[in-house]
Parts: sequence; C-alpha cells; structure tokens
Amino acid sequence: MKNLLSVVIFLICTVSLTNQARAADLTIYTYDSFVSEWGAGPQLEKIFEKQCDCDIEFIAEEDGVSIVNRLRIEKQRTKADVILGVDDALLEVVRSAGMVQDHQLQLSGLKAELNWNDTAFVPYDYGYFSFIYDSSKIKQPVTSLKELINSNASVIYQDPRTSTPGQGLLLWIKKVYGDQSAQAWKQLAGHTVTVTKGWWEAYSMFLEGGSDYVLSYNTSPAYHLVAENKSQYKAAPFSEGHIAQVEVAAITKATKNKKLAQQFLAFLTSVEAQKIIPVTNWMQPVVDGVELPKAFDDLIQPQRIGFSSQQVADNRKSWLREWRSAAAK
Amino acid sequence: MIKELLTRFSDLSGWLAYLLISLITLLSFYGLIGFSEGGPDWQLLSDSYFHSILSFSVKQALLSAVLSLLIAWPIARALYYVPSLPFKNSFLSLCMLCFVMPTLVLITGLVGLLGNNGFITSLLDQLLFGSWNLYGLNGILLAHVYLNMPFAIRIIYQQLNHIPDTSWQLAAQLKMSPWQKFKIIEWPSLSAHMLSLFGFVFVLCFNSFAIVLALGGGPQATTLEVAIYQSLKYDFNIPEALTLAWTQLIVAGGLYLLLNRLGKTNWLSADTGASQWLPKAAGLKKQLWRVLYAICWLCLLMPLLALLLSVLQSEQSLQWQQLLQPTLITLGLGLFSATVGLALGWLLLRPIRKLHLQGSKSRKAMVEWLASHSLVAPAIVVSVGLFIFLLPRFDIDRWGMIVVVILNTSVVIPFAIQKLKPRLFQFDAQYHSLARSLKLSGWPLWKIQWPFVRPVFLSTFGLLFVLAIGDVAIFSIFGNQQWQTLPWLIYSYAGSYRIAEASMASLVLLAICSLILWSSEKFQTEAAKGQASERNSKKEHEQVKTKERNHVAD
Repeated sequence: MKNLLSVVIFLICTVSLTNQARAADLTIYTYDSFVSEWGAGPQLEKIFEKQCDCDIEFIAEEDGVSIVNRLRIEKQRTKADVILGVDDALLEVVRSAGMVQDHQLQLSGLKAELNWNDTAFVPYDYGYFSFIYDSSKIKQPVTSLKELINSNASVIYQDPRTSTPGQGLLLWIKKVYGDQSAQAWKQLAGHTVTVTKGWWEAYSMFLEGGSDYVLSYNTSPAYHLVAENKSQYKAAPFSEGHIAQVEVAAITKATKNKKLAQQFLAFLTSVEAQKIIPVTNWMQPVVDGVELPKAFDDLIQPQRIGFSSQQVADNRKSWLREWRSAAAK
Repeated sequence: MIKELLTRFSDLSGWLAYLLISLITLLSFYGLIGFSEGGPDWQLLSDSYFHSILSFSVKQALLSAVLSLLIAWPIARALYYVPSLPFKNSFLSLCMLCFVMPTLVLITGLVGLLGNNGFITSLLDQLLFGSWNLYGLNGILLAHVYLNMPFAIRIIYQQLNHIPDTSWQLAAQLKMSPWQKFKIIEWPSLSAHMLSLFGFVFVLCFNSFAIVLALGGGPQATTLEVAIYQSLKYDFNIPEALTLAWTQLIVAGGLYLLLNRLGKTNWLSADTGASQWLPKAAGLKKQLWRVLYAICWLCLLMPLLALLLSVLQSEQSLQWQQLLQPTLITLGLGLFSATVGLALGWLLLRPIRKLHLQGSKSRKAMVEWLASHSLVAPAIVVSVGLFIFLLPRFDIDRWGMIVVVILNTSVVIPFAIQKLKPRLFQFDAQYHSLARSLKLSGWPLWKIQWPFVRPVFLSTFGLLFVLAIGDVAIFSIFGNQQWQTLPWLIYSYAGSYRIAEASMASLVLLAICSLILWSSEKFQTEAAKGQASERNSKKEHEQVKTKERNHVAD
C-alpha cells in the first residue's frame, strides 16, 4: 500500500514537473492551417526561437472566430501572450471586449495602401476576397458580383459565421446591394452547391470539380502556379471592387512577457518573416521590398471597397441574421 | 457487519451513478448559464430562422423515419417468408454493422459514391437530368435511411418471428386469404412495435449531428442540433444556444418519454427465432422477395465498396503507418468507454430493477429517463457547456482527452441500459423471489447472476465499444492534434476532400467495428444456442414432429 502511494506521488510530481518545464516563454493562439506542416508557423518558430533564444508555443484553434471565443471564456486567465489570425473585420470585437493591449511599436515599413495606424493590432498579411474559376472550363468568366448572382453558375462559399472569407462575402454583398442584400442572398442560394464550414473544405471541393466558382482570395492562383505549376485557375476581377482582408496579431492584456510579445510582433513585420508568409499562407506581404515569386506579379489588383472595423462590429450581428434568414429559405 | 455495509454500499452505488451522470449534465448547463447573464433568448422563438430550422429538423427526421420503416418492412417480410434466402445471417450482421457504423465512414463512402466526382454520380445525373446534388436534404436522407433502415429490418424481422406457430396453423386451417392473414395475424403483432420503432428512429435522426454538418450544405438544411453547435461555436451566442437546446430537449426528450411509456420494443436485443411453422412464399412472390433481398444487399454494400475503390484507384502511395497511432488511441478510448459504460449502465439499472419489481411504473419511467437522458441531451451542448466550465479551471490543451473519454462514456450509457435491461428483468422475474427466500445477496447472488447475463454483457460491451469509437462531436470540442482519433482523421481528410486517404482510414475503422461486432454477436448466438438446447432438449421430440408437418405443408 505504501509502495503504491509513493508511486502515485512520484507520478504526480514528474507529471507536474514536466508540465512546468514544458510551459513556453511565449504562447500564441492561432488557427490550425497556420501551424500545419506546410503553413508559416513551423518556419517562423524556428527563426524566431534562434533570434530570441526562447521557447514559443502555438496553440491552434479552428479559425479566427474560435480564437476570439476562447479568449472570451478564459478572460484574464488565458495562457495566450499573443493572438495571431484575427482579421480587420473582427478586430473591433476583440478590442471592445478588452482582451488586448497597445503594442507600442513603431511600424515604419508597412505598405501605404494598407493605410494602417492601429495602436493594438499589427498586420502580417492581406489579400482580396475573389471568386476563383478554372479558365480551362469557363471561357467567359463573370465580371461583376451582380453578374455572378444573376447567373446560374454553381458556387461554393463559406459560412460567414465560421470563416473569414464567408464573412468577406457578407460584407461584399452588403456593400454592393445595401438594402437589397436579402434578395441577393436568396438568389445566390438558388445556385449554391454547398456552404462549407471553412475555406479549405470549400476550396478542395472546388478543385475536385464541385463547382464553377469558389470564394477565395486573389492570391490563390499564385499558389497553383508556384506549387503545382498550373495556370488555369484564375481570380475573376469584379467591377464593383473587392473587399480586402487584413490578418492581424496583437498582445493580450494577460501576458506576463510583454517584451517578448513585442519582439515577436516586430518580427512578424520584418522582411525575414514577410518573405515566408506569402508563400506559405498564400497572401500578400504587408511591407514593401519583399522578394516574391513571379506569380505574384500577375495577380489581379482590385479596387478596394468595404466598411470600417467599427461599422462591421456594430452591424455584424444583424447582417448575419439577415443572411441566415434569407439563405435558409 | 461488513456484509451489511456492503449491501448498503451496493444500494447506494446505483444512486451514486445517477449523481455522477447528472453531475456531468448539470455542470455543463451551469457552465452555459453561468456564462451568459441573461439566460435563454426567448425572442428567437419568433424568428423566421428558428421556424425554418425547427421545421427542417422535424421534416428530415419524419421523412427519414418513414422511409426507413417503409423500405425495411418488405425486406423483413422477405427474410421471414423465404427462410431459404442465402447468407441470411451475414445479412443480419451487416444490418447491425450499418446501424452502429461510425457516421464518418458512411459519409466518406457516400461522397465517394455520389459526391461531385462519385463513382455513379454521372449516371444518376443523367437519370435526374443534371439536377443531382448530394448536399442538402438528399444526402441527409440517404445517410439516415442507410443507417436506420437495416436496424428496422432487424427489429421487424424479430417481431415477425415472435408470431406463434399456432397462429399460422390456425390461419391455414381457417383458409384465410393473404389479406386476412396480414390484417389478423401480421399487423397486430407489429403495430405497437412499429410506433416505438418509428419514434426511436425519429429521435436518432432528430439529434443527428455529423451527417447534417457534413452533408447539410448550408443554412437551407440545418437541424436544431447543428444550429446549437453553430450558435456556440460560430457566434458564441449562448442565450440563443440555450433556447435551441431547450427546444431540442423538450421535443426529443418529450417524445422519448412518451414512447417509453407507450411502446415496448427491446430495441437492441438480438433474439433470432428458431425454425418454425410458417406460410412460406412460393412462385412469383418468392422470386420477388429474392430480388428485393438482392437489391438490399447491393445498396448496403455499395458505399462500402466505394471506399475500397477510392483506395484502389488513388495514385498516391498511401501510408498505412500514419494510421497506427490514431488507431491505437481510438481502441484505447473505446476500451475504456465500453468498460466504464457497461459498469455504470449496470449500476444505473439497479434502482430501475428495484422499482420494476415494486411495480411503480411512473417512478420507474422517470428514473429510466434520467438514466438515458444523454440520448436526448445534445452532446454538443453538454460538451460546450463542460468546456466553458472547465476551461478556466483545467488545462484543456493537455488533459482534454480525459474529458473526451468521460463524455464518450456518458453518451454510450443509454445503449448499455437498453441492451442489459431485458435480460436483467428476465433474471429478476425468474430468480428474484428465490434469491430472496434463500437470502442471497452480494457475491453469492452475483455468482448466480453472472452466467445468466454473461452473453448479454459481452455483446453489450461490443456494441458500446463500436459506438464509443465513432465519435467526432465531442472530439471537435476537447480533442487535440497529438491525440487524433481515427474518426477525426477521417473528418480532416474528408473535409479537405482527400477521399482516398479518408477512405483508407474509414476502411480500417470499419474493419475494427466489424471485428468487434462479429465476435460479440458470435458470443451472443453461441450462448443463446447453448441455452436453447438446454431448454429444448425436452421438446426435441415435439420439434421433430413439427418439422415433419412442415415438410408435408410444403
């Protein structure tokens, strides 16, 4: 009996000790594709750990929305020092919940077109939501959002409640249709193959021939060109303009290691990191002067339209309600 | 003194089990309610979105249940009236496998068969003039019928086998017409069971999660269960989730309670009748039954064959060793959940048995409902509630798997109860008064009980094992990448449309399930045979006579 007890105590001690040893210096909440073996996470981790001589740990949630939800539950008891993977449409929600603090960094090299002067959030990549098609099948692609919605081309898009591209389409339709959005959603529902939970499900189904168009990014064709040497996938430029998505990172209020967190955010916008992110996360870099594969030169450069983060935060709920009521019929 | 304490404890242990399973649900609702200040959002009840998902949930469950029963019925009759059908036992085992098959295996099979690039999609597309789409109501119904129709076949066939030989003999003597036979003999033996069978399938489809999530295809085909998940996982709108959860609980739970009182199907027992005197089909009718039987075989096998074809057709070299760790984790998880689920199920049944012996029906129904409430309490709500409760108190990234195992166990408990119950009731009916008069309790009583319940225990264990290893809903909340289970691996492969890999993992999972089911059914039939031979040794003479008569009648 005594022996058993000592074994148990020994086990508890070793487990708690190894746990302590395993607690990283910097814990980062992000979404899972960022830390997958082909994502940016593993490469960035290697470089940054060498620079800071520290241990960083990524904890992966399913998507940006899940990161926010988790922070809401954990509040001040969160393990996260940094969150990475929320976008500009969601950031006001995070800020108003009081979960992040100012980064106090001088971000000098950011691209002028981003027009970025946020005090808490640091952008690390961006792209324009676009509909992708296979040019070997579709010779005359649609040229505007209205044309797409009026057509009967089969479409796959993502649920705006779970995925940031889906939310992008929500904003896009709202911007173009305004009060007539509900009608537009209903019309789109008539030729929608499926609404998926995340980007990856939708995109892989499209690649398997599941639809004529899929909602993705203007940067997606670069992936096919660079990674697969395929040139038939193209983004359709729309005359109404496109909604941009800027992905951001921030320091949590609960962090005990702000210095290191700041160092990490600064690293994210360094040329070294920015060289990796576009060819792993397949988005545009946020600073000028990053050398990129030639495929990035041929991407469509749409006119940017959209709402401010504050407008999105104020209306997101009611727009979502409008979408789900219209699309449910 | 010690003996008395032990009896006390064993009385208490039953109620402790109730405390335990109620605690899980209570803590999760505490987590949810404690997090939202306002409580449920009753305004939702007047939202048109709410109406459309509620009506869709009811519609798909109703259609699924009606179709499952309507298709199952003629096939069960074919089995009954043509005893010479080949591979009948294998067919019945396949039916059981379909019912408990992890839903993701089926989803992968269906996508491989009927998805955008499925093996017979183009054929179907031509037949339907290009309007075929697996996603939406089509896919949900297909999957639900595939899972539940075989189960209904088993139940209906089993009920038909309970028609006493004498009824048929009498019908023959009275020269009843086929319609009269159906109306006077067949239907009355089925009707009560049909109702509870219908209700049970309805509840299962009403609560269906993975299928609707994977094949639903957006807001047009969303059920309450999925909407709850969405409002928690997507919008983090707890008041809305609570409203939806209460609706779900009231509709499904109410129906289940009602059926518990009305119906009397022992929906998991696997009794198969011995040979008997019955009106055998002949001629054209017999051929028709045979064709129907063959079609059913084909339909049930097709999604499984599609899995095999996907694996064979794939060009990439598939890496089996990647499946090793998830397989071991899945097996460990199933082993634990089945063992603990079985033990808890047995403990939970103690008060029920006591109340049954005392004859207090309404209290028994209430206790039984409590014991199997996890069948109607949405697994997603319980998981998310517990997640909210535990997250600030517990390192979920490290110990989440423990919660997966606990919740998985609580989900399989109702099945343990349903399967153990009839046998234990039978034991009580036969031996309770004897045991009491002999003052048997504790270990000596257990020694008598064990040989009696052993076969059922073993087959229940197998069933729980198979059910426990199929979960994805709970894993989606608490699981992590280091502890990937096989179903989760399938989910991630299928989600990214890597059908070949998903099919391969599905085949492994399917093989495990078949093996477990096959061995547990074997145990049960062997034990049943043993008992039957014991009972029947006296009747042997009579049986020989009956058989002779049968031959004459042929």
